[in-house]
Amino acid sequence: MENLRTSKALKFISYILFPIFVLLIGLSIFHLSFLDEYGNTGATNFIDTEMFANEYVYYITDNIANANDQKNNDTRMFIQLEDVDGNEIYYLDRDYMYSYYNGINEYIDFIIIDKETNAIYTNMRTSDYNSEIENMKNSTKYWNYDDGNIETNIEYINNDNIKYNSTFQYAVLGEDGESTYVVNKEITGYTIYSRYNPDKTGGLTNFKIVEGIYEFCLEHQNLPVYILPISVIFTFAIAIYLCWAIGHEKGKDEITLGYIDKIPYEILFLAWAILLTIFATGAIECLNIANYITIIFAFVLYFICYIICAITTVSTIKRLKAKKFIKSFLIYKIGKWCFDKLKILFDTLDEKTTENKRLFWYYLLFIIVSVMLACLFYTGIAIILLIGFWIWSYYKIKKYILDQEKIKKALKDIYEGKNDVRLNEDELKGALREMAVYVNDIASGFSNAIQESLKSERLKTELITNVSHDIKTPLTSIINYVDLLKKENIQDEKVKEYIDILDKKSQRLKKLTEDLVEASKVSSGNVKLNFESIDIKELFNQTIGEFKDRFEQKDLKIEVQMPENDIKIKADSRYLYRIIENLFSNITKYALEGSRVYIDVTENNKNKGNTNSNNSYNYININIKNISKDKLNISSDELMQRFVRGDKSRYTEGSGLGLSIAKSLTELQGGKFDIIIDGDLFKVEIDWPK
Amino acid sequence: MYNILVVDDDKEIVGAIEIYLKKEGYNILKAYNGEEALDIVASNEIHLIILDIMMPKKDGLETLEEIRKTKTIPVILLSAKSEDYDKIGGLNSGADDYITKPFNPLELIARVNSVLRRYVSFGSLKKEENGNVYKTGGLVVNDDTKKVTVDGKEVKLTATEFNILKFLLANKGKVYSIPQIYENVWNEEGFGAENIIAVHIRHIREKIEINPKEPRYLKVIWGVGYKIEDIK
Repeated sequence: MENLRTSKALKFISYILFPIFVLLIGLSIFHLSFLDEYGNTGATNFIDTEMFANEYVYYITDNIANANDQKNNDTRMFIQLEDVDGNEIYYLDRDYMYSYYNGINEYIDFIIIDKETNAIYTNMRTSDYNSEIENMKNSTKYWNYDDGNIETNIEYINNDNIKYNSTFQYAVLGEDGESTYVVNKEITGYTIYSRYNPDKTGGLTNFKIVEGIYEFCLEHQNLPVYILPISVIFTFAIAIYLCWAIGHEKGKDEITLGYIDKIPYEILFLAWAILLTIFATGAIECLNIANYITIIFAFVLYFICYIICAITTVSTIKRLKAKKFIKSFLIYKIGKWCFDKLKILFDTLDEKTTENKRLFWYYLLFIIVSVMLACLFYTGIAIILLIGFWIWSYYKIKKYILDQEKIKKALKDIYEGKNDVRLNEDELKGALREMAVYVNDIASGFSNAIQESLKSERLKTELITNVSHDIKTPLTSIINYVDLLKKENIQDEKVKEYIDILDKKSQRLKKLTEDLVEASKVSSGNVKLNFESIDIKELFNQTIGEFKDRFEQKDLKIEVQMPENDIKIKADSRYLYRIIENLFSNITKYALEGSRVYIDVTENNKNKGNTNSNNSYNYININIKNISKDKLNISSDELMQRFVRGDKSRYTEGSGLGLSIAKSLTELQGGKFDIIIDGDLFKVEIDWPK
Repeated sequence: MYNILVVDDDKEIVGAIEIYLKKEGYNILKAYNGEEALDIVASNEIHLIILDIMMPKKDGLETLEEIRKTKTIPVILLSAKSEDYDKIGGLNSGADDYITKPFNPLELIARVNSVLRRYVSFGSLKKEENGNVYKTGGLVVNDDTKKVTVDGKEVKLTATEFNILKFLLANKGKVYSIPQIYENVWNEEGFGAENIIAVHIRHIREKIEINPKEPRYLKVIWGVGYKIEDIK
């Protein structure tokens, strides 16, 4: 069932079949009405029917009118040919006729003679019109007329049936003897000869079509009896199926709406009406000048009409099924928008927040008072009162905005990290006062939190310092007595070795406690910095001088690369030295003996891209590289973290805090400290602001 | 025979110091808190006091203050507090030197000797102030005899080291960068001198200072230069 509903193929077939069955219904009804009209006359040939007679007389009278118009120089329907026997010959201009009649009714020959001038109007070409006139009566159907006297073998338009009155009108009596075909043409002064010429009915002319239909209808009288009910049943079935299935697609529970279904319905309807009018009019026009090209053309146009109608109908059904028909009206949308806006306005009265309510009443009051005072305008005092009222209102609004500004400023202060933000709640009213209370709460919470964290940081450093004091006292005894032990005259080599270990470890413990305090101070920023102008070259010369012996001991060669010019930076000289000292100390401990140590100092520009302009360098970059003697199986981040060091180096002296302290000290002074490990290459990069 | 009073609440530390200083030939008196120390000072002739700061009953600074009311005995503070402001505070309270725990026994002995020499031979120093003599604190450089003494004890310097020290001492209190020192001592452009001067200065420091890492006379201003501290 669901498959039927969602099948695209079935829908496509339905869309194709539907118009065919509708067409069949139409044709059947036409067939039935045709039979009803002509079925009982007994005429089996088209030329025996009233329809034929009617067309015949219409064509003739029309050409009499044309001849009359030509005579009075109104139109030029006829072309003048060479005279025959001294008579003027006017031949019906076929091209002209085609543009009007498209060649219909050409199966009628006529010769119209103007009695005054003996001019001949005709659609026949011959050298002997007199013999043609003689021949007329020998034709299957002929119709001659002379001064009210008709000579014919067409029953419907003989003397008895045609009503002629002197004011150039004649009529054909209807079959029932009452209805008449009235033609407003004067035919006095003309003699008419005409005949039905079967030789001219070749090809698919209008005559042939009409004759064909006539004969088909008569021949197949039973056809509509079967076709009509079947067509009706199928049409209804398809219509019901489509109504049921439209909008349902595979895998979707809801009605699927397309682009067309989203167009406001009025616009869709208007487009339908306009397009249908255009195409239907075109189709009707085409049928009026029925030949077989125009019939195909009309058919195409009718099909387009069908598509237009189908699209509109399908969209309408979809909208109805999706329960969006009303909503898809533009007017509904506009109305709803207006309604919503109004609703918001009036909802404010019901809302719980008092501010909305107050705003509404204040605004209403403002308008009422303004209008009332405006009504009293003619009394001079009302103007003064009104202006006064406006100024008062402005003052009120301004005060509210200024109060709001205060809260905004307080919030901005909190955002910027000020910790003494406080609003005077008594100055404010209503919701602003509530806001002020909250802001004050947040501000005090904030500054509390900051104070707490500062306090805890300070406590941490204090704790570490105090603990280190407590450790140092017993450590002093250990170091001193170990020293004393060393000075004793001990022979036992083992005891000497043990004392040596004690000595080393106690010294290491000493260094560890000192570094721990420093690291904690430095990382918590608990350091007082004295910035001064430092010459980097001087610093490195001094430091290398300090370490020269130790470098030489390890056979390390120092390669220094510096710019020619003096480089001054702002730094605390003691702490800057501490950074370099820690790095150099690491190098003497961990660098591969006999390798080179590279120190490169360059100036560069961090903020601007160009490094060309000489005086605008705002950073110096210190780059220290050495080769590690041990494998560095550790990340640079871990190296910079406190108490973490490369694997093997755990067994040598030091606390492992050197790099961590160097990093913290660099960052405290606004620099950037990075360690890059590339295989055995150990590289420290420091960026220092000038 | 000088009498040295050692004050610390940690008996083992006092014991260790006693052993070291006795070897140097000093007579040692011991106290374990501030009040005891004051009693001993009141009743004995003391030439030097080694005083711990953190002690029960009366701490080192209070004791020092008390002593300074009546006596000018040199005092060396000995403390686990190693912050700059602790040292400055201690020295400002009237101490002559400050040693942090844990200390190097050799440094302690050197400082004790130095302070005592300064205290005892204060008068005799003036006699040597003839000719080309430059001095600051206990550091004396005699350009005539080419002798350098620290607190009366002679120090052997090389000719280059002597010239650098003499130049800096003659201009004590002023800071000189490496190229400036080079130009003034060698009388030529200090280009390429670089760290030769720095090495010499470290050597000088090692010879004239008790603790070269915390120099008293020859100070390093990192990234600027060197100077001799002007001590009255």
